[in-house]
Amino acid sequence: MHQPVAKFNTLEREHAFRHPSDKAYQTPALQEAVAPHIEAFNSLTEHGLGSKTGLLDLALQDIGFKAVFDKKDGGLGNKLTFWVDELALAKPTVSDRDRHSLTRQVYPTEARERLTTYKGKLQAKLAWRVNDGPVVVETRDMGLVPVMVRSNRCNLEGAFPKELVRRHEESEEFGGYFVVNGIEKLIRLLIVPRRNHVIALIRPSFTNRGPMYSHFGTAIRCTRADQTSQTNTVHYLNDGSSMLRFAWRKQEYLVPTMLVLKALIDTSDKEIFDTLMMGDLDNTFLTDRVELMLRSFKQYNLYTREQCLGYLGEKFRVVMNFPEDYTNVEVGEGLLRKIVLVHLKSNRDKFNLLIFMIRKVYALVAGECSPDNPDSPQHQEVLLGGHLYGAIIKEKVEDWLNSIRMQINQDVRRNVNVDFMDNRYFTKTLQKVSGVQDIGKKMSYFLATGNLVSNTGLDLQQATGYTIVAEKLNFYRYLAHFRCIHRGSFFAELKTTTVRKLLPEAWGFLCPVHTPDGSPCGLLNHLSHTCKVVTAPADVSRIPAILASLGVSQTIAPASGKDTIVVQLDGRIVGYCTSTQAKKVADALRMYKVTRAYNGAVPLDVELGYVPISHGGQYPGLYIFSEPARMMRPVRYLANGKTDMVGSFEQVYMEIACMDDEVRPGESTHQELAPTSMLSILANLTPFSDFNQSPRNMYQCQMGKQAMGTPATSIRYRTDNKMYRLQTGQTPIVRPALHNTYGMDGFPNGMNAVVAVISYTGYDMEDAMILNKSSHERGFGYGTIYKSEIVDLEDLRVRGEPILHHFGLGVDAPRAWREKLDRDGLPCIGVTLREGDPLCAYIDDTTGKTSIKKYKGMEEGIVDDVRLLGTDNGEGELQKIHIKLRITRSPIIGDKFSSRHGQKGVCSQKWPAVDMPFSESGIQPDVIINPHAFPSRMTIGMFVESLAGKSGALHGIAQDATPFTYNEKFTAADYFGEQLKAAGYNFHGNEPMYSGITGEEFKVDIYLGVVYYQRLRHMVSDKYQVRTTGPVHNLTMQPVKGRKRAGGIRFGEMERDSLLAHGVSFLLQDRLMNCSDYSLCHVCTRCGSITSPISKHAASSLSNVREMECRSCATTAGIDMIPLPYVFRYLATELMSMGIKVSLKTKP
Amino acid sequence: MDMFNAGGPEVSIRSLKKDSMKFVLSNCDLSVANALRRVMIAEVPTMAIDMVEIESNTTVLTDEFIAHRLGMIPLTSFDVDRIQYTRDCTCTLYCPNCSVELTLHVKVNVDIDEMNDATIDKTRHVTSIDLISSDESVKPVTDDKAHPILIVKMRPGQELKLKCIAKKGVAKEHAKWSPVYGVAFEYDPYNKLRHSHYWIEESVESEWFVSPNAQEETPPDPNEPFDYNAKPEKYYMELETSGCMKPEDVVLRAMTIMQDKLGGLQIKLDDEVTGEAQRWGY
Repeated sequence: MHQPVAKFNTLEREHAFRHPSDKAYQTPALQEAVAPHIEAFNSLTEHGLGSKTGLLDLALQDIGFKAVFDKKDGGLGNKLTFWVDELALAKPTVSDRDRHSLTRQVYPTEARERLTTYKGKLQAKLAWRVNDGPVVVETRDMGLVPVMVRSNRCNLEGAFPKELVRRHEESEEFGGYFVVNGIEKLIRLLIVPRRNHVIALIRPSFTNRGPMYSHFGTAIRCTRADQTSQTNTVHYLNDGSSMLRFAWRKQEYLVPTMLVLKALIDTSDKEIFDTLMMGDLDNTFLTDRVELMLRSFKQYNLYTREQCLGYLGEKFRVVMNFPEDYTNVEVGEGLLRKIVLVHLKSNRDKFNLLIFMIRKVYALVAGECSPDNPDSPQHQEVLLGGHLYGAIIKEKVEDWLNSIRMQINQDVRRNVNVDFMDNRYFTKTLQKVSGVQDIGKKMSYFLATGNLVSNTGLDLQQATGYTIVAEKLNFYRYLAHFRCIHRGSFFAELKTTTVRKLLPEAWGFLCPVHTPDGSPCGLLNHLSHTCKVVTAPADVSRIPAILASLGVSQTIAPASGKDTIVVQLDGRIVGYCTSTQAKKVADALRMYKVTRAYNGAVPLDVELGYVPISHGGQYPGLYIFSEPARMMRPVRYLANGKTDMVGSFEQVYMEIACMDDEVRPGESTHQELAPTSMLSILANLTPFSDFNQSPRNMYQCQMGKQAMGTPATSIRYRTDNKMYRLQTGQTPIVRPALHNTYGMDGFPNGMNAVVAVISYTGYDMEDAMILNKSSHERGFGYGTIYKSEIVDLEDLRVRGEPILHHFGLGVDAPRAWREKLDRDGLPCIGVTLREGDPLCAYIDDTTGKTSIKKYKGMEEGIVDDVRLLGTDNGEGELQKIHIKLRITRSPIIGDKFSSRHGQKGVCSQKWPAVDMPFSESGIQPDVIINPHAFPSRMTIGMFVESLAGKSGALHGIAQDATPFTYNEKFTAADYFGEQLKAAGYNFHGNEPMYSGITGEEFKVDIYLGVVYYQRLRHMVSDKYQVRTTGPVHNLTMQPVKGRKRAGGIRFGEMERDSLLAHGVSFLLQDRLMNCSDYSLCHVCTRCGSITSPISKHAASSLSNVREMECRSCATTAGIDMIPLPYVFRYLATELMSMGIKVSLKTKP
Repeated sequence: MDMFNAGGPEVSIRSLKKDSMKFVLSNCDLSVANALRRVMIAEVPTMAIDMVEIESNTTVLTDEFIAHRLGMIPLTSFDVDRIQYTRDCTCTLYCPNCSVELTLHVKVNVDIDEMNDATIDKTRHVTSIDLISSDESVKPVTDDKAHPILIVKMRPGQELKLKCIAKKGVAKEHAKWSPVYGVAFEYDPYNKLRHSHYWIEESVESEWFVSPNAQEETPPDPNEPFDYNAKPEKYYMELETSGCMKPEDVVLRAMTIMQDKLGGLQIKLDDEVTGEAQRWGY
């Protein structure tokens, strides 16, 4: 058994902090953790390392050209063709009009501090030609597009700590987010169906498509080279035929597969029959259906490919929006190119794959194969932010081109001077559609709101919720944002819980522990810390040749044989072979892959999914995947001990052992690098998590993210709305190995506390914890909140008018203001502001008077920083300031704390130190918790941590708390027990303790140790609500709700019931009437109405006394006054308006 | 109460160092020993910085952070009797009778020549040495001249200027006034009295350490019957001071305080008794 080792590395860390390196990162693991985000963004301009083409270029190729005709001389007339030649995204620079800046570059910190967007210029080269004339190219500005921090379009690209610190970033800043209006936003990872792989589905909803539709189908999400996707579904119809379904511009279309097959290539019924049957002529189930399908297609009377294409083209001409001079056949070809199995270029390949889809759906119907689970990570991949970003840009560019075309078409229709020969006409048209041109604005909107505005829907299931704020509440939370992966908001509303299930297929890819409890449980997952997302395209051009050499047949002739299974490479059928042969092929490829044979012809990131033949299991085949967006993770290849990358598809059919003793010779091919690989970064940071009951680890993953910690080291340069900071955070004594790997010591998240597990004073009941008053006074848990206040005088300015408001303190300012504000109208640094104090002052030119903005917070805030925010061009008068306020939050009774084991508690008392229990050596606990917190929760990890922390503190060493280090033979209790013994303490961590009050020794010894405690951000100061009287709702006269409005807490029906049951009716009256909407009301005792008494006209002008009179009884007699809840009066009037009379029977 | 030897409580000092002391208290009741412990921790007055007036602070630490750090610095309090509690003083806020003023002013100048030389450590450590006291008898404890108490680290161009008011107080009010860092307290190391029940898995001997204090006592005789009337009589105490005063002074002052308390009580009781006697007429 290896000896656990952990180190504080204090000196190395201090050195690295004082001398930031310009060559390497201190914690490269952090950079790796966010790599998928950055690499995906980089691929927009550089798809694959060092590549000249990016996804944007590929997108432009896919968009192609648009054409319009001027309809001159009767026919179509002149043809104007235009397209975008190139899209160039520049690094952020200052505006061209700026004449003051010394450097042109803009760095993220400026955007953050000035509350602007970190964006670079997007330029498009628009090319056009008339008929076959010369090509004219013009560069157009497409607006300023937000740029990902630390990407290849960021000015901090490749910067090392020294440069990062110089640019006011964290020394280990890893980027991966955008800065939009000063807020850090990131596009979160989304789970989407695995690309280029046909999955078999059984969905009851399929039957809704039409009368003959069954619930069987096969679907494939095909991706184009530019990473945009198109889903094709083959439906099985109850009569045995099949239909191809696809969506185009959010509209669904269904086409007979036979029509598509015949349109794809010149083929014959025999060929279709042969390829579908694959020699399995005994299978009457299949022959019947194929025959029927072939026969039924005869009714279309389409025999040749030409005819089929023409038919398709005719039907889809309007939908597809191709140039008007396209023939029907060309439109049909375009349809097949743009919509059907778009990941394939050649029509033969498309034909083969469509045949495969039909075969698979028939196999599904026949029960030969099982449906594939779309909720399993086996059939999933990741939608990367960069790819989505590119897809949106692509769509916006296409929208722009379409809008140009529509504008010209409109001009042609309206007979405005359309002159294609005049370049000015085209540029004028461009100006008309300039609104569509500003892609930058649209991208900013997308990032700011997370809303996808799209005509096509981008083959995605949701329109909102794509972006999240990367909150810097503490480092745990911040880091987790980049590793979280969402199932899609569509599934959040789903009533079934199947999508939320933790499947064995997720092992090693998605963390089983790190998911929130509550509504997003199971939908919001986190990547395991070793899980990577492939972003670079792999070169697989030599794989078909290798496959052929390994005995895989070619696809030229229809394959046959019962045992024959398909070999696919990224959804392209590259051949067939027998099942046993396929196994050998897969094994050989695996060996080539890990050994980098043939100069790396089989790249490491290639996934070799061999699905063996089974009885009613998954459809067999050898499926090879090489494209980006797949989840891959490293494991050890046992044959040669090298590291292999394993994907979520292939893993299902692999034998990967976890621990050494689980390796089964001859069966296990791989072994885990470490048992902790399956956990996310945060789950890995829970010490001894393998000792805990599993839900407790989930709770810790939540609470670790709510702890008050160290959000950033560059706090001075941050403008976050709210930031929590723990003043004296410590490095935990007990820490898992990954604590150092991820540089958590740079951002401490809690304090080491001496914890006694004892029931003492009674103030530790029900998860309350007692804090030592002296510990508190010495600074235990002291925290600060930073809040931002922004004052923008621009808001006061009337549009079009010159600036009339200036920051400043006029001579008319009263003395009270001068105590807080300086002559420039800005608050003095270090001044304390209370509610109603001036935040800043400004002078209004029209009145010449000084006005102030008031500080509205209820708590005292200290002015920490005042930032003067200028405009983009660095010109113009100061109009906007940012004030950072510091609110001190010393722990008080009611504040929440937690250990790292899901054991949260509320501080119930600050107990005087002399009254605290103490050990023989005079140690008094900082925290007392109740032993009852343990039996039902079973957080043994906390006991072990206590033990380890105690021995670590006694010996002055860090303790390794990596889960799965200890086992039954080498127990943690013994290991740390021996250490304690060596320090002269009890083996089990117990100590005799004495009552602080009497000095008497306790009857039992007390479990005393050191546990790392987190202070959570939930504090009473933010939550307490008190009210005696206060604002009331003006319709019901009942107290308003809400803490902010000084409202009350609802005393609802259930509460009422309990008082009724208790028989305390006076209390009930007090709550529901006297303290609520008590009102006195006139009632007419004759008719019993409370609505009819009205005041009579004053008897004389001298008298002010007004008598009440009942309108219906027409008398003043019998009017009485009674107390009533005001709402009752309201109810009575409402009822009256509906013609219902409320009559009260009153008694004296 | 014949179990205590005649002659009352006894003290024997086992070791005495500059800032720590070990002693055995015997022949007294547990309550007395514990009272002594409590008084030493919480009621022996010392001097500590209580108010900080910050004139200029451009360091990286916030005002309240520095003020808190200053408060935690132990000040020599040998002469604390000379100073009054502010609450007993006639002044309104503070005066020389009830407080001591300490000032700190550090400004790190920007040296252009050194600026770009990475080899020179330009960080200035502001420590307790920089605190200048107006009273020679009340100043930061600096036993270890090489390692004074760090207050804040400063960089060129930063300035810290402040005035501290040290006041007399007790740790009941705030931990910073505690003269001791900890008081060890033990009795009956062999657990002869069976006040405690040791939790064991196998045996007490292998799992429980016998405290070093046991050397002072006779080991229990397994054949001896349990004396259920026995009372604790020897208390092993050890205290470690913050350096603000000598450990023996802490103990002595603590005893004086206890005496004063009892004295006060006696006077009060006397008055009460005479008053009552007059009222009841006997």
